[in-house]
Amino acid sequence: MRPDFKSSRHPRPRSLLRIRALRAVAQRARAATTVACAVACGAALAQDGKVDPLAVGRQLLAEDNPGELWVQRGEKLFHAKRGPRQVSLEQCDFGLGPGKLTGAFPRLPRYFPDTGKVQDLESRLLTCMVELQGYARADIVKGAFSTLDHDSDMEALASFVASRSNGMSMNVQLDHEKEREMYKAGEYLFHRRSGPTDFACVTCHGDEGKRIRLQELPNMTDRKQIQAVVSGWPAYRGTQSTVRTMQHRLYDCNWQMRLPDLDFASDMSIALTTYLNYSGNGAVIQAPGVRR
Amino acid sequence: MAWLTFAPALVVLGCAAFPDEQSARVAGESIVAQAYPGMPEVLTRRAVQDPPQRICSKIGPGKITQEEAAEVIRLSRASIKYPASGKLVGDWKTGAALAYSGVGTRVRDGKVEKVKENGALCSNCHMLDPREVNAGNLGPSLAGYGSQRGSTDAVTQYTYERIYNAWAFVPCSNMPRLGANGHLTPEQIAHVVAYLIDPQSPVNRK
Repeated sequence: MRPDFKSSRHPRPRSLLRIRALRAVAQRARAATTVACAVACGAALAQDGKVDPLAVGRQLLAEDNPGELWVQRGEKLFHAKRGPRQVSLEQCDFGLGPGKLTGAFPRLPRYFPDTGKVQDLESRLLTCMVELQGYARADIVKGAFSTLDHDSDMEALASFVASRSNGMSMNVQLDHEKEREMYKAGEYLFHRRSGPTDFACVTCHGDEGKRIRLQELPNMTDRKQIQAVVSGWPAYRGTQSTVRTMQHRLYDCNWQMRLPDLDFASDMSIALTTYLNYSGNGAVIQAPGVRR
Repeated sequence: MAWLTFAPALVVLGCAAFPDEQSARVAGESIVAQAYPGMPEVLTRRAVQDPPQRICSKIGPGKITQEEAAEVIRLSRASIKYPASGKLVGDWKTGAALAYSGVGTRVRDGKVEKVKENGALCSNCHMLDPREVNAGNLGPSLAGYGSQRGSTDAVTQYTYERIYNAWAFVPCSNMPRLGANGHLTPEQIAHVVAYLIDPQSPVNRK
């Protein structure tokens, strides 16, 4: 199963939430241009002393992060009695005990004895929505990514749960044998070349200062750059007018690599996220982040 | 109290027990086999590695032995096919359009995107026309490629083969084996060759 993706590549803002988000950003940007530019332009100076206009835009957007609206919606969804069993997600265990959210996200992915699996944030939410609330797994997966006509509950819930650990450091432990297996599998998969383009993750994310066309690529073999990545997912993506999760990020990389649609909550995604998050331990969580 | 001193050491030992490379490989391959349920076999086959891809997936630089590099070069040389016409240089204007096109063979909802023809993906990673700023830098700049090298038969053949299967020259380089993998036809590659070496091409205009 994978999310229904028809016409979802670049959804235009249409829900009230999104329009509000964009309006707030625009107003704030207009009103605060003088002040913000003095601050932002200073921070956005490239090494050669020139102003990086993209960095200025990113900073303005981050100051009025539209992702906050997904956090609010996620919080409501989390506490609401929903699904066939009409229960909330308040008893969902993210690894620190039922309902304990603060500090849970930085430890993910981790091994969960009740499922016998290593799970990331999204796959754990999926488990709770199925086991506690009685939803059909296929339905949740089908709606896991927002489209033009559909706001994903998963993206909102993931934003909310992750944001409860803002300010804390990524701290994946690998105490359990299965966690270490996932980590090593993730490391293997990061370097595994396949497909019609012969790409592995490391092909594009293994060196400094690289770009695909004008899009800068983080070097995911450098701890500081890995930390910059893992601190800000889930992320509000300006090009898609919605929050996306790491599941979606990996799905999209997979698409660019010309591989088939990556299954939602697949072990492929969880292995790579285990490798990534562990390598980024120490990153200060600031979720949802703001991305292109 | 002696056990207190040993406890941290035991924990450290326990944590250090990562699976070895062979176990990680077995686990990784099993994960790949389950990553695309419900996808048609013609697509899942893409995720299956051929022998050169397997050799080129080693973790860390310098892990590939001389013998393995030689094997990649041998297999890659053997993969190269030429246009039926025998002409390795096509039309540079057709090649220009191909060089700046990044489309083709991507999969959404289990279906391959519908395009007139696959793009050659060049500008994703290489600068070509020095006036075009929208170019990647994963590969070296190719601006002035033809004016630097000329357009002798040797240059033409090298350029064609290098695009058809880059690993015949630099085993395991980042560049996709565009011809060998079936992403481009021999005729398309000949057009791209023309774009790179023709003196009239923007790549070579001063």
